[in-house]
Amino acid sequence: MLSYILRRIVATLPVMAIVALFVFSLLYIAPGDPAVVIAGDQASPEDVERIRQSLGLDRPFLIQFGSWVWRILHGDLGTSIFTNLPVSTMIGQRVGPTLSLMIITLLLTIVIAVPLGVVAAWKAGSFVDRAIMAFAVFGFSLPVFVVGYVLAYVFALELEWLPVQGYTPLTQGFWPWLENLILPAIALGCVYIALIARITRATMLEVLQQDYIRTARAKGLGQGGILFVHALKNAAVPIVTVIGIGIALLIGGAVVTESVFAIPGLGRLTIDAILRRDYPVIQGIVLLFSFVYVLVNLMIDVIYTLVDPRIRY
Amino acid sequence: MSEKLLSIDDLHVAFSTRRGMVEAVRGVTLSVEAGEMLGLVGESGSGKSVTGFATTRLLDAAGRVTGGKILFRGQDVTKLRGDDLRHLQGAAMSMIFQNPRAALNPIRAIGLQIADAILTHKRISKEAARAEALDLLRAVQIRDPETRVNAYPHELSGGMCQRVMIAIAISCNPALLIADEPTTGLDVTTQKVVMDLLADIAAARGMATVLITHDLGLAARYCRRIAVMERGRIVEEASPRTLFSAPQHAYTKRLVAASPTATSRIGDLVTEEERENYAAVISRPRHEPAYGTPPLLEVRKLAKRFDQGAAAVADFSMTMAGGEGVGLVGESGSGKSTTSRMICRLIDPSEGDIVFDGQSIGHVAARDFHRSPLRKDIQMVFQDPNESLNPRFTAFDCIAHPLMRLDGMRAGDALRQRVEECAERVGLPLDLLPRFPHQLSGGQKARVGIARAIACRPRLLVLDEPTAALDVSVQAVVLQLLDRLRRENDIALLFVSHDLNVVRMLCDRTIVLRNGGIVEQGESRALFDNPKTDYTRKLVEAIPHIETGPALAAGL
Repeated sequence: MLSYILRRIVATLPVMAIVALFVFSLLYIAPGDPAVVIAGDQASPEDVERIRQSLGLDRPFLIQFGSWVWRILHGDLGTSIFTNLPVSTMIGQRVGPTLSLMIITLLLTIVIAVPLGVVAAWKAGSFVDRAIMAFAVFGFSLPVFVVGYVLAYVFALELEWLPVQGYTPLTQGFWPWLENLILPAIALGCVYIALIARITRATMLEVLQQDYIRTARAKGLGQGGILFVHALKNAAVPIVTVIGIGIALLIGGAVVTESVFAIPGLGRLTIDAILRRDYPVIQGIVLLFSFVYVLVNLMIDVIYTLVDPRIRY
Repeated sequence: MSEKLLSIDDLHVAFSTRRGMVEAVRGVTLSVEAGEMLGLVGESGSGKSVTGFATTRLLDAAGRVTGGKILFRGQDVTKLRGDDLRHLQGAAMSMIFQNPRAALNPIRAIGLQIADAILTHKRISKEAARAEALDLLRAVQIRDPETRVNAYPHELSGGMCQRVMIAIAISCNPALLIADEPTTGLDVTTQKVVMDLLADIAAARGMATVLITHDLGLAARYCRRIAVMERGRIVEEASPRTLFSAPQHAYTKRLVAASPTATSRIGDLVTEEERENYAAVISRPRHEPAYGTPPLLEVRKLAKRFDQGAAAVADFSMTMAGGEGVGLVGESGSGKSTTSRMICRLIDPSEGDIVFDGQSIGHVAARDFHRSPLRKDIQMVFQDPNESLNPRFTAFDCIAHPLMRLDGMRAGDALRQRVEECAERVGLPLDLLPRFPHQLSGGQKARVGIARAIACRPRLLVLDEPTAALDVSVQAVVLQLLDRLRRENDIALLFVSHDLNVVRMLCDRTIVLRNGGIVEQGESRALFDNPKTDYTRKLVEAIPHIETGPALAAGL
């Protein structure tokens, strides 16, 4: 198992290299002279030249790329053009809120979506099933910002149960931290819950048709044991896959959600960086997200082996 | 006579389908005494399994008991709800199923699966349940139970999986066990071991057993009483001896006749009207190849190794003349399917050569062989007619496809004519040609598979267990068809099968394989009547035989 994980980590290196090349090329894929683009509309020719010098844009592409990779390998993601702060510091300041939001959303989603899907499959064709699936279609169809504003209006402004906006770090207490994240997590998780509930239902329906479920019934096992011990674990591989893919969905959704709820996370940082054409920051964030995604995929593959003894590497 | 343990009275079961309710069981009346083993025999669709599932209350959601009673120890099973039902299932009454590997949870250790059943019905600790599971594994004669208790189903053979199923079924000492085709799909030798074990356990524990099977021979060997079902009704109930020597019902007569025995010939298996002009064909003298004619197929020292493992097939050599029937028999894992696939060039041999009609084809890569002009000459018929037909192709497309790909025919009247010719050849009614596989019966699908294989007029047909998934009466007709093709069109048949009775009838020569090597070969009848090796003898002895009296032969 350990050697498998090591081999997988080694195998991710080429992937990361390609991602890095792409991220670095962002600057050049964008139309126009990068230095002019970065400097903005009001910049004098001297400003443009200064930026070109400081970023080393006058050197050949491959050399620039090489030195950029070299710096990244040493933990240096570059310096923001706008704030003059190291990119790694800026990301470090913003990573907490985004990570909190994603973890809460993930937990909320699994806790809600999987049981919903199981119940829908168990009661397939019934009113309960149709209600759950109707809810799923609804959740799927609503954009994050609509759900976000509606939730904020109802639960924060009208009922005043939860704060409207903002973020409190975990260091200032668990409840203040959680309180601020509940509404954003529901807004962000809506699509995700719908997706996973549907996948769980579909996979469970298939598993419940299998001969070994009939065997479990023949043994006299109770409904709960059949559904959760025998069926759900067999359905787990596709469900875990979709949960993993959904993390990419969460990263995209976090950008919008953080804007709606004014959470000072990576999503906000991304938007600000894009608006200011702060390329080193954009590159750093994209690189980080790619890395997280590769890592999540590795974790999913490891989970497969834990769930299904037939999968061996 | 002891008291009835189970008595089924005028049972009706219906399934709701898109076309409305369909009655699968229409008035079954049946009783089982304590400790008895009853055989419930019938072909697919006869309602025998549905009767079993209704009794153990394991019917699909679509199925419903619409009438009648099932009294188990005087209690009507059909009316049980909730906990009462759970106390019955797995405790007083249990069931084992056809495909043992699918019937076990693939991701749960077998020990846990046995313990599940024990813990559901007994208030004991997990450790005690595990100890009991170990005892049960010993009872079903699984070697090295201490290790195997942690094994997963995919690590065990089919026979072992069925033993685990038996262990689960007997874990709470039920009074009644319903065994639904418990050995279908297992090798004959494994079948014998599993059935002997089941019979011993049932006898030792005084457990009544209902053996649901399509195999009359199997039921005859293990049951004192056999009930024959056809289209949802019991048509006859008698002791095996009476059933075989003097069957009363027309259906039983047909079923008995269609079951191959050690002495039967293909013509004996089918009824008068199905025999058509077969008698005329068989009486015609065989076209004997002139002396010195080179063999159609010559296989030299063929070997196959998968990955770095041991050889699946090693040093396999054989020759076949045109129009000859050769049987390839052996238990699963003996390499017979691998060999047949190498010969029809679907997989590449690791060593050796295959010479077809004087041309060496062993070195042509399997993935390029479809471009060889010899592809037309070597065709195959696969085991499961349900799985080997494309569900989106009509019967017509299926037969036309090889003609278009291999014979270069274009869609049009000529193609239609050829397809219809093939369909007629295999006895497939022409009005079935526009149908999709799911709209055809098993026998009809088997005919489509054969029609497709003979469409390009091959000279060698490789058949991998072509009748294993078919009912005996359909099997009889298919066997007759194959024999006719061989005699009339001079098609050589390489017949891969585990059913020795069938091989004996259809093949002139038989090759017995074990662990990838040839154990014995020779003229079929001589080989089976006087096996020279212990292995062949074991195979022959494991076949459940039907004792047919002279009265039966006269009656037909």
